[in-house]
Amino acid sequence: MARGRLWHTWPALLALALFPVAHPAAQEGEGGGPPAEEGSDEDKDKKDDDEKDAKYFAIVGGDVYAGTGAVLRGATVLARNGKIQSIGYDLFLPEGTETLDAQGLRVYPGLIALAASSRITAGSLAAEVPGQGSEMEPENEMRFDALLPVPVRLTADGAVLAPDLQSEGEGGGEQKSEVEDTFDPFSSYLVLALASGITSVQQQSAAVKLKRYEIDDVLLGDKHLTTLTWSVNNPTGIASLRTKFAQAARYLRDLRAWRERAAKDEKEPSKRGVDTGALRILSAETLAYFRASGREDILGIARFAQEYGFRPVIEGCEEGWTVADELGRAGAYAILVPRSRGPKDEHFLRPGGASIENAAILHKSGVQVAVHPENTGIDTIGIAGRDVLHIPIEAGFAVRGGLSDQAALEAMTIVPARVLGVDHRVGTLEVGKDCDAILTDGDLLHYQTFVQYTVVDGKLVYDKEKELYYAHIRPRPKKPVPEAAAPAPEEEKPEGEKAKDEAADEEKKDEAKDEDEGGEKEEKKDEGEKKEEGGGGGR
Amino acid sequence: MTPTLLSLLLLSGSGTGDLVAIRVKRAETVAQGPIEHALILVEDGKIIEIGEDLPLERGIPVIERPDWVATPGLVDCHTRVGAERVVASRTFDPQAVPELDIDPAADAWAEVLELGVTTLGFYPEGSGIPGQAIALRPRGDTLAEMRVAQPAYLKINLQANASSKNMLREAFKKADEYEEKVAKEREKWEKEQEKKKPKAKAGAKKEEEPKPDEKKEEEKKEGGGTAVQQEGEKKADEKAADVFVPSPPDERVRPFLDLRAKKLTAMMALRKAADYLHLLDVIEDEKELQWFVFFPLQDDIDFYEVAPKMGEKKLLVVTQPDTTLQPNSIRERNIPAELAHAGAKLAFVPRQDSLSGLEEWRTDVGRLIGQGLPRDAALAGLTLEGARALGLQETLGSLEKDKVANIVFWSDDPFEPAARVQAVMLEGEFVYGEVK
Repeated sequence: MARGRLWHTWPALLALALFPVAHPAAQEGEGGGPPAEEGSDEDKDKKDDDEKDAKYFAIVGGDVYAGTGAVLRGATVLARNGKIQSIGYDLFLPEGTETLDAQGLRVYPGLIALAASSRITAGSLAAEVPGQGSEMEPENEMRFDALLPVPVRLTADGAVLAPDLQSEGEGGGEQKSEVEDTFDPFSSYLVLALASGITSVQQQSAAVKLKRYEIDDVLLGDKHLTTLTWSVNNPTGIASLRTKFAQAARYLRDLRAWRERAAKDEKEPSKRGVDTGALRILSAETLAYFRASGREDILGIARFAQEYGFRPVIEGCEEGWTVADELGRAGAYAILVPRSRGPKDEHFLRPGGASIENAAILHKSGVQVAVHPENTGIDTIGIAGRDVLHIPIEAGFAVRGGLSDQAALEAMTIVPARVLGVDHRVGTLEVGKDCDAILTDGDLLHYQTFVQYTVVDGKLVYDKEKELYYAHIRPRPKKPVPEAAAPAPEEEKPEGEKAKDEAADEEKKDEAKDEDEGGEKEEKKDEGEKKEEGGGGGR
Repeated sequence: MTPTLLSLLLLSGSGTGDLVAIRVKRAETVAQGPIEHALILVEDGKIIEIGEDLPLERGIPVIERPDWVATPGLVDCHTRVGAERVVASRTFDPQAVPELDIDPAADAWAEVLELGVTTLGFYPEGSGIPGQAIALRPRGDTLAEMRVAQPAYLKINLQANASSKNMLREAFKKADEYEEKVAKEREKWEKEQEKKKPKAKAGAKKEEEPKPDEKKEEEKKEGGGTAVQQEGEKKADEKAADVFVPSPPDERVRPFLDLRAKKLTAMMALRKAADYLHLLDVIEDEKELQWFVFFPLQDDIDFYEVAPKMGEKKLLVVTQPDTTLQPNSIRERNIPAELAHAGAKLAFVPRQDSLSGLEEWRTDVGRLIGQGLPRDAALAGLTLEGARALGLQETLGSLEKDKVANIVFWSDDPFEPAARVQAVMLEGEFVYGEVK
């Protein structure tokens, strides 16, 4: 019982200790913490039980890049039952806390892969969704096992393959995502994704947490996007879309007016004939999702969105930089492939074509920029570095074009989370959010950087040294054993890597905090210098 | 066993005249470990005694085979050997039994026996839930003569996808619905019994006779009391019973009721480790279920991921004797050995479901011993655990007193590739080999 009381009192002490030091977000989260925190005497027993079962996980001593703009050097992230409980210095770690030493490492929020191959969650037996991901194996391949008369790759009746919900289009569809029933937590593709820093993925319409070893509660969110098509080549399509939105807007207006009048004898406005997709977009339940790359289409979408006051998500958006101000005014999200190339249409004098500056210009204009690689599958052939496992490389190209490091980090984390409607759970390291973090041995955007550890829901799910994939490449320097009287410093850093990393850290100390343009330019310079250094060291 | 008691036994046994005594170099009993210089006494198709250097009454002929090694007859619990391979379209036929696929006149049976296999679990072909397996002895002129047990298990293919999981969920939901229906019927019947009690004194016992036809059943319920009463009276004239008889379930629902009632076990056929987690997800609420797991091995298979969980449960796992490559690597893994070390029970089926597969079966298992599989797990995997999968572990699968005398006599240790089957005894009778 005495111990139980101790448990009861410590959160208050902890909170006291924390508040002056912790990141501002900590206070936010503490307020919105679980009700058990403010439990009365009756709840005491129950709370004690909760406390006993609580699992603590701490990432200790890393440079925490929270993704909000804040960087806390040598800070600790403490998670309770998978949720971040506090971030700060000199945290009290409850008894039994599992710790992960992050000294010399950077801690970032886990990356979120948009439109990722279904192989990541469904394993090698999953069929690729057409049009997405790599096609490294011939389609419609049916394999029958000698003993188990089950086709392991079904395409004809879709028994294995979850239907492509994204193509379902406007209606949004009532069908629940099947990803929970196909999730394979042992898939090597999933491990590869974790090794690449990805902790959540978009699978068709759903946002899915990449949990390892378990299949419970993997679905983060579903149906946050309503796919619409807008093409200047299809004026009738645009016209019908306009009609749908006009009807939906009128309905919503009528509904508001009717509610305000509160006249009992008056009938509620009829929903009949009103497009549910448009209605959900206008009620901000879902985001409108377009695929467009040409200037005319993008401009049309931006103005259409401004007209009806919704925020469009535009994938592709190659010529977005030419109409960035309009997109900014529309509060648009752009999902970019910074490395994609496209020619300018020479029929026009106006600027056009793809630009390496696209992401930077869009970001400057207030567009929320997310990046993903052109190939959202996992490559086993062709040229490496262009598949879903190389999101930071892709973001690095946006940085090359002028995007700030902070914006590039956001483009891989919180912006995709917002697009998928799961930014309350993932995307940044903030108190109250899921403890999905990646620990890297350097700047995430640097090509030499490896993810050393991946943490999902406060559990270590990937350790570079322990998996087959990258363990042998630049292995982690061995930590000095505490028992050893004199740890030899020469042995510790034979390649001088650690020192270099530290130097790099010093250089970039405050850049993530700078949001203004001047800061960005400086960062660019820094980044360039560092890259040269890194490249030299690698050889 | 004391000598006196034994001699008594033998005396009584010799009366019937079909007592067989065999002395061999070693008997691999599976249940109690090996017995050197074992004497096995068989009568009426059963092992009546087994032990080391048992003294015998004079006059009892003993077959002396000082070179032979005796093991229980091998049990292949998942096979379609002897049947024509069809790619079946069955997806949900839990009531089906593959009786018509078995040809008692097939040549294969004799060869199966010669390989030392004395029990087979013949499974229904198909995906989804294709039906129930039959346990067979590979000898007999008719199916009835071959049959050992039916049903042996219900085969369920479960995969990590919505349609497969929903099929099983739906099946149990149907069973729930039926159970609810029966509960309602019972309630109604009890009420009626209450009502009729005064009448019962007069001698007219009535009960609502449930109709097998579900539609009529529903009509009755809706039809109100009088209709039921009338019908009840009608029935009562024909048949007076005072026990509640529930309406029979749909034939497709019955297997799932049997599963819950532990009358039937389920073989869960899986493909990968994730399927196992999804299986647990589906049968979370079915606490009474008796089931075991089956998976064929192939490269990139990842069951080592759930081996500790399976071991913790002491789960019976039916698989093939082979090593596999870890996904995306050339690292070899001995999944059967990992399962055995984790504590799971292992039953082996041949790598190929054919006569040639059966031929290589024991040497394949033997190779796994060289790669870390405990020898006793290997032996049990060929015999006792296979019998367990068929629900016959009480009568088959080991050389023990009172078990059925299915015995294989080998020229050497059965895991030696050079060892040959010298003789096979099926239910007390030599069906292969020259034994005098």
